[in-house]
Amino acid sequence: MAATDPTEAGDDASSDEDGGGEAPPSREAIVERLRRVDDPELDRSIVDLEYVDRIDVDGDRVTVAFVLPTAWCSPAFAWMMATGIRDEVGTLPGVADVTVDLRDHMHAEEITSGVNERRPFQAAFPDAEDGVDAVRHKLDEKARLARQHAAVEALLDAGLAPEQIVALDRAQVDLDADGDRAVVSLRDGSVLVPVDADPLARYLEKARAVGLAGDDHLFADPAGDPISPGAFETVQARARAARVNVDGQGSVCAALHESRNGTAVDD
Amino acid sequence: MYTHNGEDVFVIDGHVHLWDASEANIAHEGGEQFIQCFYDYHTAFTPEEEQWDMETYRKYGKEKMVDDLFRNGHVDMGIFQPTYLSDFYEEGFNTTEQNAELAEEYPERFVLNGSFDPRDGEEGLAYLEELDEKYDLQGVKLYTAEWRGDSKGWRLDSEEAFEFLQKCVDLGIENVHPHKGPTIRPLNKDAFDVADVDDAATSFPELNFVVEHVGLPRLDDFCWIAAQEPNVYGGLAVAAPMAQNRPRKFGEIMGELLYWLGEDRILFGSDYALWEPDWLVPTVMEAELTPDQRDEYGVELTTEVKKKFMGENAAELYDIDIEAKKAQFEDDAISREFDLGSQYVDSAAD
Repeated sequence: MAATDPTEAGDDASSDEDGGGEAPPSREAIVERLRRVDDPELDRSIVDLEYVDRIDVDGDRVTVAFVLPTAWCSPAFAWMMATGIRDEVGTLPGVADVTVDLRDHMHAEEITSGVNERRPFQAAFPDAEDGVDAVRHKLDEKARLARQHAAVEALLDAGLAPEQIVALDRAQVDLDADGDRAVVSLRDGSVLVPVDADPLARYLEKARAVGLAGDDHLFADPAGDPISPGAFETVQARARAARVNVDGQGSVCAALHESRNGTAVDD
Repeated sequence: MYTHNGEDVFVIDGHVHLWDASEANIAHEGGEQFIQCFYDYHTAFTPEEEQWDMETYRKYGKEKMVDDLFRNGHVDMGIFQPTYLSDFYEEGFNTTEQNAELAEEYPERFVLNGSFDPRDGEEGLAYLEELDEKYDLQGVKLYTAEWRGDSKGWRLDSEEAFEFLQKCVDLGIENVHPHKGPTIRPLNKDAFDVADVDDAATSFPELNFVVEHVGLPRLDDFCWIAAQEPNVYGGLAVAAPMAQNRPRKFGEIMGELLYWLGEDRILFGSDYALWEPDWLVPTVMEAELTPDQRDEYGVELTTEVKKKFMGENAAELYDIDIEAKKAQFEDDAISREFDLGSQYVDSAAD
């Protein structure tokens, strides 16, 4: 489940074992499900990134072929995406079996067979120093910090002061208040501030993935610790750098993908 | 010499190679994949009309390189950064010795850097001494992700690496250029780690660490380390060509670098032949920050700033006297060959 959206973990677990005689899934349903699989380094869905090359449906058996921006993309990242595809599509109603096919990659064979045979990453890559989960965690921490930048900017835009922002906890944020607006409650609920919900929701999703539930403090410095008011500006600058890094790398990959695979991606 | 709004810009291309990826030189499939990957980077960030064909790209040779840098490329001086890849290529991909063939022909135009690999132990230390004796090194390029037998790389903060860094101090080799760039190496080793530069830079304050490719995709870690360590610099190779087809992203990256490192610790490099200075130098010189980027970062990308990273900062690290060089280039072999002398004469008269 490494590369899947953690908020969806456990969903549809009952349909994991077989197709259960249900109708085969539509291509659209498969694409929708694949949106949950992300490129862990770029923090974006493999569907938006146009990595999905081909989807074949044969009754309750689905094959998903995907291609990455270069043949040298990190095997650990490729592995996360491959297992994500396998596990996400595998839990769709009507799917009994998923075959993943990584194309044009220097480790295509190891990754494709390893993931389809459900072998652990370390069995396919005995040389790898870190387990794939440790790599995933590091990338998630980076993505969390990058997303924090946008969430904090949204709160600043809404008029909150830095010392109010660093003191926020999860209970003060109501994401589902009103469509695309979240509400942040201040001063024991006597002041309710509407805020753009999307950056907050995206932040919270990634914060949960790295175990920052926000019970005590919603936001954290790069080490995961609470932010003191005096450190607010530095932490926000570091979060901005993390965002620029993720976006910058996204541009590099998008340009490579466009050049190698003729796929234009909006970056 | 490049001219920007009537002003002379002395260009020291801080990152150039003379490589050989011809089929005859490839010893391991990794060698073929490596050059294919480079070619992907080349085509991804080169204007279509400037792209090379693969055969030229594999091995372009000395003559073309001189043409591309000096006749057409606005470059005044280049710094060779070797990349050995000895397991992948029979004679190496881009070794000090290969680079020396050209550097020794035009010593006034090139800085020739060496390299070391701490996994070579005593033999490696002797080789570094030998290189220094032969070429009087002022810098080394380090490729921590290089494969060597069963090893898939090494760290700059290891005991063995420290022995080599101490050797650099002893030999007076002051500039260390670790490659910390996009993932072209397999597996996850060091996939997003620039932390080893931090320890090395703290332990060797007498050395300068120019992190090539500004740590992309670890720009944020790199910036944070560089903000603490005054002897850490950023090499713009890979970031620079984004000015061509991702100008907004280039502006953001420059904003980060200027915010965290300041204008004195950034060095331009074309990464030739990954990209060519003839279009890259003008593209970077024309690049601007958007008003919101200027506002966000509180920095400006002025001509003065650009002149610094285009040449003055490298000159500082490599003890290059730009005015003396201009006088020399009024009549050196390259200027005579390409009839470039007058631009330096005019400049001296300024």
